[in-house]
Amino acid sequence: MTAPAGRRSGRRVLSWLLALVLLGVIGFVVFRDVGGQEPEPVAPTVVSGVIGSEKAAFFADERVRNAFLAHGLDVRADPAGSRQIATTVRLDGYDFAFPSSSPAADKLLAQRPTARTYAPFSSPMAVATFAPIVDLLTQAGVVAPGSSSFDVRRYLELAAAGTRWDQLPGNTTFPARKDVLLSTTAPCQSNSAAMYLGIASYVANADGVVADQGVAAQVTPSVQPLFRDQGYLPPTTEVLFEDYLSAGMGRVPMALVYEAQYLAEALSPDPVLPADARLLYPSPTIFSRHTLVPLSPAGDRVGELLTSDPQLAELAAQHGFRPTDPRPFAAAFRDRGLPEPPQLVDVVEPPSFDTLEGMLTLLGCAP
Amino acid sequence: MRAVRRIAVVAAVLALVAGCGGDGGGGDGPGLAVGPSDAPVTLRVLAGSELLDLEPVLAEAGAATGVRIELDPVGTLDGAEAVASGTAEAGHDAIWFSSNRYLALQPAAQARLGTATDIMSSPVVLGLRRSVAERLGWVGRPVTWAEISAAAGARQFTYGMTDPSASNSGFSAVVAVATALAGAGSALTREQAESTVPALRDFFAAQTLAAGSSGFLQEAYVRRATGADPGEPVDGLINYESVLEGMNAAGTVPEPLELVRPADGVVTADYPFTVLAAASPEAKDAHRRLAEHLRTPDVQRAIAERTHRRPAVPGVLPAPAGTAVELPFPAQADVVDALLTSYFDKLRRPSRTIYVLDTSGSMAGDERIGALRRSLAGLAGADPSLTGQYRRFRGREQVTLLPFSTGPGSPQTFTVAEDDPGPDRQRIADAGAALQPDGGTAIYDGLQAAYRIAEQQIAADPDRFTSIVLMTDGENTSGADIEAFRLFAGARPAALREVPVFCVLFGETDAEEMEEVARLTGGRTFDARTAPLAEVFKEIRGYV
Repeated sequence: MTAPAGRRSGRRVLSWLLALVLLGVIGFVVFRDVGGQEPEPVAPTVVSGVIGSEKAAFFADERVRNAFLAHGLDVRADPAGSRQIATTVRLDGYDFAFPSSSPAADKLLAQRPTARTYAPFSSPMAVATFAPIVDLLTQAGVVAPGSSSFDVRRYLELAAAGTRWDQLPGNTTFPARKDVLLSTTAPCQSNSAAMYLGIASYVANADGVVADQGVAAQVTPSVQPLFRDQGYLPPTTEVLFEDYLSAGMGRVPMALVYEAQYLAEALSPDPVLPADARLLYPSPTIFSRHTLVPLSPAGDRVGELLTSDPQLAELAAQHGFRPTDPRPFAAAFRDRGLPEPPQLVDVVEPPSFDTLEGMLTLLGCAP
Repeated sequence: MRAVRRIAVVAAVLALVAGCGGDGGGGDGPGLAVGPSDAPVTLRVLAGSELLDLEPVLAEAGAATGVRIELDPVGTLDGAEAVASGTAEAGHDAIWFSSNRYLALQPAAQARLGTATDIMSSPVVLGLRRSVAERLGWVGRPVTWAEISAAAGARQFTYGMTDPSASNSGFSAVVAVATALAGAGSALTREQAESTVPALRDFFAAQTLAAGSSGFLQEAYVRRATGADPGEPVDGLINYESVLEGMNAAGTVPEPLELVRPADGVVTADYPFTVLAAASPEAKDAHRRLAEHLRTPDVQRAIAERTHRRPAVPGVLPAPAGTAVELPFPAQADVVDALLTSYFDKLRRPSRTIYVLDTSGSMAGDERIGALRRSLAGLAGADPSLTGQYRRFRGREQVTLLPFSTGPGSPQTFTVAEDDPGPDRQRIADAGAALQPDGGTAIYDGLQAAYRIAEQQIAADPDRFTSIVLMTDGENTSGADIEAFRLFAGARPAALREVPVFCVLFGETDAEEMEEVARLTGGRTFDARTAPLAEVFKEIRGYV
């Protein structure tokens, strides 16, 4: 009786031991998982920033939010026009500003000097349009047959002549009594329009970056109608691109947007690009370098993570941005079975902040 | 009868109080409180009145986000002025109008705006009674503004439209028709805005109904169509697509409206929900939470179903078929100015207004007769504000001042010159300054005298909008009473039946009687007991 009892007793000890081990394992797993998500048991630090609107979807992405939360940061972002960020937005209370270009960031830096800025990704300016418009532009010599290259010089000639869509030869697909005009945002508020000003003034200046106020004064009158003739312009590129997506060809036949906006839709698991959507690249184009200016230590941490965290770089690529390391960008397209966007060669630099501001002032923007 | 009416009024007041229940903040103006009263954040929003139809959506959004929203309705241009001057910041965290385009014309206003998030959209189109649209051959094929304008010039149909200086839908229509008729492929220039006058004259010749807001326009159209209002029914109205579709869906009109979306282009309202730059961080956060919620696919679909507006978020509903062209909206203040000035001074059917003004003894004192004199001077040009400029007496307008006390006084009529309106405006201001308080209050004798004047003036010159504005600070003490006016109003000859009375509630005025006068004549009341008299006189200008 004792033996079985002893065995039983031994078994009891064993089962206790096993139970303890099991509890330990569960505890470890639970602890590890909890710890993995929130290494700091304290509530995450709320970090707020004002960002160029085209990055709103990136910051709103649950995966991006979680990637920051894993580092103890609860990042909240208010979208605004990039020039607004540099000029009119009240920055008190924000931890970082993240406009869409280096000139806008330079302007901020002049007011709020900081030790470091971060440029974790960039995006070229591109033209979001529709297949029938691409056909019309090809016939008009703006797009080379079969290419995705949008000849800015040829387009400026059409625009300068006041050509309407219904005046293009053989146009039965879009006979609108509207001028052939690339839709943009308001240059006084938004960076993408300022980048367009950079591109158009480069071409109007016989292929040279406008580098001083004298040249700016000569060139600006010829590019002014590109904005003025459009009338009221949306304040942000996000609004413009959404108009393109939801209102269709009649409202926005072709829009100057960031490549990332279009690519993010193409890469999305649930894309809402119109069936006949097409992307063209202005030749020449400008890369907007999204530049984060920290306004507090927590904001600095956001910039650092965006630059160094591989997961955030992957997510940025999935939102269509080109990270400094090209591999995540290529991988994002490979994973979705889509062709990788072209490497662009006809790229020019934006004018300096002062020259850009000079041109904007000539366009009637308050300095 | 009287008791029944009282109960109705009490019930209405109770409903209003219930609607504002739990209103912890300001409670100023006709604010609409939505959402749980114990919600942690309340967002005070200066908004277009047409947004009141979003009430159920906002109530649900309040429950889901903890952000209670209080809408304080105001006209688009008045709202723009409040933002530009900074007064909007004092009582509000955000603004929400059919568009921010007016604001874009004023750099001072632009700088006061924070994040703007588009929530929905609706183009401004023409709705016509189906039989009229069929008679004109406008069903099932593209129609241009030029065709519409030609038919309007030939008086083949009539329509109503809001005052473009008060309401975005009216101004969008002016922009669309002017841009299309100018044949411009780009935003109108000032020269084009001025040169389109002859072509636009045809278009506006068919406008027989005006209003200061799209809501009142819709109601006035329905009341005339159903015979509830004494005036001639109108064939159609220019309004948001969403309002017209809502009218069809509600079945309030005897005949469905055919929506004519002009092929050469429309102007679309985009409803940017915009936080003010001066708002607190809490309010900015609340704005962001609410805007994100309103843009979730389910809420976007709910907005589309309940308000007939189009979702702002792509992919929520199938894209609309066809290629509706959007016309460019002028971005320069001088172009807008030229359009509005020519609309009022040259294009619109000119108006004729008889001001029936209480000069009884109780009007003595600076806050009464003084306020009245200043109000008239403001309309005569002394008011330098943006709205003041657009609402002043216009070229070609006929203005009659009819003071009354124990009986009707002697009327003075002025016709403002088209090309040099200044001197005539000055004469009206001078006549206002000469008003002296004395005697009793014969409201209905004064009103009947005004109708007799209107009858003579209409016989001499029938092609004008004719209205009566009644301003009184007290109860009727002499002459005919409300019963007599009821009989008089019911027996008016046809030409006078379309003449509404707009009543200004002031001092100890009998609000209930004034409501009835407005109802009997197809007008409405305006409350100057809580708002400055001059502001109310200016507001009425949108309706006359």
